[in-house]
Amino acid sequence: MCSLTEPAIRTAGLAKRFGGFDALHPLDLEVGREEVVGYLGPNGAGKTVTVRLLLGLLRPTAGRAEIFGIDAHRNTVEAHRRLAYVPGEASLWPSLTGAETLHLLGRVQGQVDEAYQRELVERFALDPSKKVRAYSKGNRQKLCLIAALSSRADLLLLDEPTSGLDPLMEQEFRRAIVEAKDAGQSVFLSSHILSEVEALCDRVAILRAGRLVEVGTLAELRHLSALTVQATLRDPPPDVTGMAGVTDVEVDGRRLRCHITGPVGPLLDALAPAGVLQLTSREPSLEELFLAHYGGGE
Amino acid sequence: MTGRVVAGLAARRAIRGGAAWGAVFALVVASTAVGFESAYGTVEARQQLVRTLGGNAGIQALFGVTRDISTVKGFTAWRCLGVLPLVGAIWALLHATRTLQGEEDSGRLELLLAGPTTRAGAGVAAMAGMAAGLVAMFAVTAAGVLAVTGTGGFGVTAGLYFAVALVAAPAMFLAVGSLTSQLATTRRQAAAMAGGVFGVAYAIRLVADSGSGLRWLRWASPLGWVESLRPLTGSRPLALVPIAGLTLGLSAAAIVVNGARDYGTGALPASDTGPLRAGLLESAWRFSARLTRPRAVGWAAAIGLMAAVVGLVAKSVGEAATESEGFAEIIQRLGGRSGGAEAYLGLSFTIVAALLAFQAAGHVAATREEEADGQLDNLLVRPLSRSRWLLGRVATAFAALAAVSVLAGLASWVTAASQDTGVGLGRLLSAGMNVLPPAVLVLALGTLAHAVAPRRAVALTYGLVAWSFLVELVGSLVNASHWLLDLSLFHHIAPVPAVDPRWDTAALYVVLAAAAGAISLVAFNRRDLVGA
Ligand SMILES: Nc1ncnc2c1ncn2[C@@H]1O[C@H](COP(=O)(O)OP(=O)(O)OP(=O)(O)O)[C@@H](O)[C@H]1O
Ligand SMILES: [Mg+2]
Repeated sequence: MCSLTEPAIRTAGLAKRFGGFDALHPLDLEVGREEVVGYLGPNGAGKTVTVRLLLGLLRPTAGRAEIFGIDAHRNTVEAHRRLAYVPGEASLWPSLTGAETLHLLGRVQGQVDEAYQRELVERFALDPSKKVRAYSKGNRQKLCLIAALSSRADLLLLDEPTSGLDPLMEQEFRRAIVEAKDAGQSVFLSSHILSEVEALCDRVAILRAGRLVEVGTLAELRHLSALTVQATLRDPPPDVTGMAGVTDVEVDGRRLRCHITGPVGPLLDALAPAGVLQLTSREPSLEELFLAHYGGGE
Repeated sequence: MTGRVVAGLAARRAIRGGAAWGAVFALVVASTAVGFESAYGTVEARQQLVRTLGGNAGIQALFGVTRDISTVKGFTAWRCLGVLPLVGAIWALLHATRTLQGEEDSGRLELLLAGPTTRAGAGVAAMAGMAAGLVAMFAVTAAGVLAVTGTGGFGVTAGLYFAVALVAAPAMFLAVGSLTSQLATTRRQAAAMAGGVFGVAYAIRLVADSGSGLRWLRWASPLGWVESLRPLTGSRPLALVPIAGLTLGLSAAAIVVNGARDYGTGALPASDTGPLRAGLLESAWRFSARLTRPRAVGWAAAIGLMAAVVGLVAKSVGEAATESEGFAEIIQRLGGRSGGAEAYLGLSFTIVAALLAFQAAGHVAATREEEADGQLDNLLVRPLSRSRWLLGRVATAFAALAAVSVLAGLASWVTAASQDTGVGLGRLLSAGMNVLPPAVLVLALGTLAHAVAPRRAVALTYGLVAWSFLVELVGSLVNASHWLLDLSLFHHIAPVPAVDPRWDTAALYVVLAAAAGAISLVAFNRRDLVGA
């Protein structure tokens, strides 16, 4: 019996190897209850592999995965009762209509909030009488989203769920995720849309080449990274290259720009004698964080 | 530029398939010619052969009219022309619909169309690729034929003409498949339509050659034209005219229709909206039934029609046949009992066995495709176990096969009874059910292949059926060693209703099938889901 405190997702040494290629190095990851976790990484990092391992569609080479304490591979059906999944590229049965698809998926899922489903169909502006083969990509994606959201499953596993959605629908998706979070559902969101992750996620995990390189709240991640400092000075700027934590110094006349990690006191002390007219500092956006992690070598 | 890419891709696949089947053709031609020498070396043996086969209207109906079969070339021409065009035509229609419709279905063509080419241009290019495949098939077949000119006692020109005759049906059905691909909305529909054309063509040819007074009907069937070419036995190249006309005409029609329709839709109207029909969506098992239904209905129509035709002509064929003394021998060899009609029906049902096995392979392919296309993901990420899903697919396929086998017996009984043929319902029903075990074994072995080697499963399964069919053909002729024949799924099936069913064999097949099925369930559970 799983206790009430088991996390929504827990992996221990979960790894996957295809032939001689390690798509996922042993992964230890936890997603708590009522938590929204973003899963980021460049193309081919292993995000989809992770999600498919959690779903039991792939068999792990090593390690294990649990969904609310239920082993995802030994007890797949039980684990699936607790979750709903949205793939990035849905492949549905072309001859079924949207309504038929929702009906079928609802029956196989075993739990549907019919009223909420009708509401979502309205909100996502989907015409369910059309056959899937006549839907645009975005509309197929909406169908998968509606099917998953209307199950009200405890855990939502989303793998690039908004690929192909227009900005209006993207907004609608965010509202739905906020609703899910308020209703106590957990969300694991793999995405390339950083603003989406920034807006929705409590924590972020960054994967690169099959290895987890960073996990934490956005605030924590920002803390670890460089602050961008820009100063306009009265006198020519002093030479600050070589100071502890200072990198990427750019001087343009009386203007100085640099990145700094760690305490900023020494930098300010060095600048003060030149007469600081204006000073701005900015935390890195998720995009900058991300580019730093994506761009770096092994 | 992009047109050349499309043509290149289509050509590569067509040449691979065409050359492979050309090799099969070459092998069958060569082994038939060589085998004839060893099997029927003496004059007595050949006279015996003429008496046995020449008077056997049943065999003639199935494989075409015999001509000069006491000679190597006459026998080779008859034997090869009776079967290879059928196999080639089925390959051709599947290949054409896969190339023209399958690519579009899956959206792969879209990528190429984004380049500087029109869809009409891409269609022409793809058909040009298929033509290259046909040339490859001809070349390899011709090589096989020319290799045995000495044994066969015919010249190079006659040999080339024979090779043309062998690839005539594939040529026509590539064109048929090209046109149906433009008319239908999905690949499956296109293949079903082309398959329907093939079924009607074969049925007409069968009636025309059944020894009744309907010989002229041959000219109403493309497969009849192929027979009328009479290679190696008094060539009649005149029949090339309708063959070429049909091939070129349908190809041109396909190009025209292709230019006139929208991407992703067929020229025939197909509705893009529909009411909610929930009946077969209530559970994964019922949904299996819904997915299996179109294929099952198509096969039921094809096999039912064939059984009905066979039943209809059984009496007249039987009467014509009993007058030849050779026929009595055949019946005896089959361990047979009475009339010619039963013997004819027994032989015909071995063809039904092959068709039903192909249906089984089709069900395996559909099951695998659901996984390869990613549709299965939608089900298996929900609380549905893999075993339950697979069991559902296998069970519905089994039910479809069983229903079609019963239908075959029933259909032949209805038409046979209408002619007072005097073969009882019970015997014909058991004839139908008798062909079920090999199909079930194909289903089970195919499922095992799916569970163990998903990417190869479709080829392996069709290969198993084609292999069995060819072994039967070649093996029965060259007095092949018994172990070779034993490897054919059909060899162990008794020609019911000419003789009684072999229940022990049937039981063995079912036990083997059950074992393969059980292993599949376990193996499927243990592997990764694998895309295309
Ligand atoms: N079935 C498979 N066989 C072999 N290699 C695979 C298979 N599935 C995935 N891979 C490899 O594993 C790696 C990770 O793939 P994955 O699909 O998880 O990337 P991703 O992080 O989801 O990328 P994207 O952002 O593009 O979706 C890739 O290099 C991919 O080629
Ligand atoms: Mg991915």
